[in-house]
Amino acid sequence: MGTGLTLAILGAAAAAAFGGIGSAIGVGMVGQAGAGLVSEDPSKFGKALILQILPGTQGLYGFLTAFLLLVRIGVIGGDAVELTTLEGLMYFEACLPMAIGGFISAIWQAKVSASGIGIIAKKPDESGKAITFAAMVETYAVLSLLISVLAIFSISGIVGK
Amino acid sequence: MAKLKMKRFEAVCAIEDSRDLVDWLQRCGFVELSEFEEDDRLARLSVGTSVSQFEKILSAAESALKNLDKYAPEKKSFLESFNYGVEISSKEYEERSENIDGIISKCIKINSTAKKIDENKAAAARYRALSDQLEPWLALDVPMQFRGTGSTAAFIGSFQKEYDIDGLTLAIGAEEPEIDFYAEVVFSSRDQTGVFVLCAKDDAQKMESALRSLGFVKPSDPTRHRPEIRFERYQKQISTLEDEIYEHTQNLADYGNLRRDIEFAADYFSVKRDKYKALANIAANDKLIALKGFLPERKAAKLVEKIEKKFIAAVAVTEPSDDEETPVLLKNGRFGGAVESVTEMYSIPGKDDVDPNPVMAFFYYILFGIMLSDAGYGVVMVVAMLFAKSKLRLSSGMKKATDMFLYCGISTVFWGAMFGSWFGDIAQVVALQFFGRELPSLALWFEPVDDPMKMMLFSFLIGIVHLFAGLAVKFSMLWKSGQRLAAFFDVIPVYLLVMGAAPLGAGIITEISPAISAAGKYLAIAGVALIVLTSGRSSKNIFGKLGGGLYGLYNIGAGYLGDILSYSRLLALGLSTGVIASVINLLGTMASGTFLKAVMLIFVFIFGHTVNIAINLIGTYVHTNRLQYVEFFSKFYEGGGRAFTPLKVNTKYYSIKED
Repeated sequence: MGTGLTLAILGAAAAAAFGGIGSAIGVGMVGQAGAGLVSEDPSKFGKALILQILPGTQGLYGFLTAFLLLVRIGVIGGDAVELTTLEGLMYFEACLPMAIGGFISAIWQAKVSASGIGIIAKKPDESGKAITFAAMVETYAVLSLLISVLAIFSISGIVGK
Repeated sequence: MAKLKMKRFEAVCAIEDSRDLVDWLQRCGFVELSEFEEDDRLARLSVGTSVSQFEKILSAAESALKNLDKYAPEKKSFLESFNYGVEISSKEYEERSENIDGIISKCIKINSTAKKIDENKAAAARYRALSDQLEPWLALDVPMQFRGTGSTAAFIGSFQKEYDIDGLTLAIGAEEPEIDFYAEVVFSSRDQTGVFVLCAKDDAQKMESALRSLGFVKPSDPTRHRPEIRFERYQKQISTLEDEIYEHTQNLADYGNLRRDIEFAADYFSVKRDKYKALANIAANDKLIALKGFLPERKAAKLVEKIEKKFIAAVAVTEPSDDEETPVLLKNGRFGGAVESVTEMYSIPGKDDVDPNPVMAFFYYILFGIMLSDAGYGVVMVVAMLFAKSKLRLSSGMKKATDMFLYCGISTVFWGAMFGSWFGDIAQVVALQFFGRELPSLALWFEPVDDPMKMMLFSFLIGIVHLFAGLAVKFSMLWKSGQRLAAFFDVIPVYLLVMGAAPLGAGIITEISPAISAAGKYLAIAGVALIVLTSGRSSKNIFGKLGGGLYGLYNIGAGYLGDILSYSRLLALGLSTGVIASVINLLGTMASGTFLKAVMLIFVFIFGHTVNIAINLIGTYVHTNRLQYVEFFSKFYEGGGRAFTPLKVNTKYYSIKED
């Protein structure tokens, strides 16, 4: 067990933690806006809930990245592999897009979703458009996830473990 | 299967038949009325007061239903809440509408009773607050207005401060040492002390200023009798109010069995309101009415025949003029119609648009399946949708939604099986944990987790096919409208460029045979050349043409690159479903001991996968929509049309069957 493994786990932790923090802030923000709406009109709960869930995916993506990495390096469900410091650093770096991209996109997606609550309040039939606006931001979380996951897979090809 | 062709419709009808004609049109439900121009012979009907009258009655019925929901809630299972519209015949509709006035007066009664309950609750709360204020004074055995006897002066009031009797005596003594007085602490808390102070009448003024300087305040509403008496009166009032609330609540609960009738009334008056709103479009004089509007061509012949047979009326059906904006009604089969709501959410097809649904539906199901990509989840969807379709009475919108998710579910089963995901890796987990056997992958094709690069290339390929389909629609639209040259120049070079560049791009990730990449190179060059030469063609001089061409190349190159890369979400969402499903299975097997493990797995499996399905369904739905809206529609679709809104029987609780 050396610095390499520690760095890799640090990367996994960063992806899960920052994605999670971003989503927690995001889901919280939209939840507050949604609660205001529902206090006026409880029948709009379902629509508000969907908007609230949207910034929650970053936490999930961060978790996914962390999990894939932890499986790759054998921390979950196997024997942990030995990594050199450099290899560990590579894994750490691979997690950064998800950690940073997830964190920031979750918060911005939440801002869009929270404004979308206004659409639901005034024009409930147009709620699909509110969802679409929020989904635009999500793209960049998906891209972050993608590059992190691809990097993890590729690095494990390079270092052979 | 597309946008229905619309015809203009104009009719005149004898005034004595007018009421029946409008009723009949509303029941048919496929004529949209538009404003008939007034002139000196015809004046439009003024219906504003009737409409607002009906609105008022309707809102009384609706709020009566809301009050019943509150005071006589109906027990409805989760599944029943999806049921729509009890069916009744039009004969029953007529019969039931006869005693509608009685129902409305009951509605008004329900609302006024509910209002009384609210008022009583507010009054009770007010009395409670007052008696809370009074409660500390209960220990006082003289009226709070007591000013003293013939020879004494009494002061009753409070300080914003805590005193005990010694502290109070000391404080008053320090302020006015020469007076004899008697003091009593009625109540005392941290921030308030109620006191009774008695002194000789001659000293009253001195005492008063002494108390004042200590911060003495007289009560704002002193009692005339002992506080206890007023307190009891309050309690009595509260209990009377509560008895009334109870009584009213019981009364309302008894109205519960009127719910069906009130629902009927709500439907009845909303139909009436719609009719009168439509009547505002009609012009009339003392002999006849004149109306006009739109109707779908396929209904026209039959409608004209029926109207002229049934009523004293004359109808003309004509072709709308080219610059007229006709309303849009879509007609698709089950397969394409299911996704209509997705398109409508974006925009109704505009004047020059084709109906995108048939093409879109096919891709919608495929993209949805690849993104959800778990056969187990697909099976759950299919079963749930089949159950809903067979067991529940669904509104037409819900029917389309269940159809859509049914097809999406089937596609999900297919792609899940291709990628070997059945509730994640539950089969392998169970085999390994309980039977000690390693199961091979169940994938019919390959598992994306094992070879994400392959999956990514596949995603891009699907994306290219999707985009090309969009371009093909554009090609056919341009071709049909006669712009054949534009059709070629806008579509073919893009095909060449993308088809040529794709193998070159794929070469970065994986090995491509040299022959293909060489061919790709030439295709791409041909595409680039064509784009540079043609996309500036609207410009007049040679430099404009060249500049426009280069700009077009940049736009098309960057645009299509971005569009295609966007399909990598197919990989990302697919991975996220599968991997999280596997994590759930893994969590389920954390316990030790076969029995405990089995029990835990069952619980974790049910809970975990339910949550995962829900979250991924939302994610998949959102991203599939996005790919259709942003990547696909941008290739050919304008939108901005106006939906066809015919005068029809639009009910919420009952569906009326014509006989």
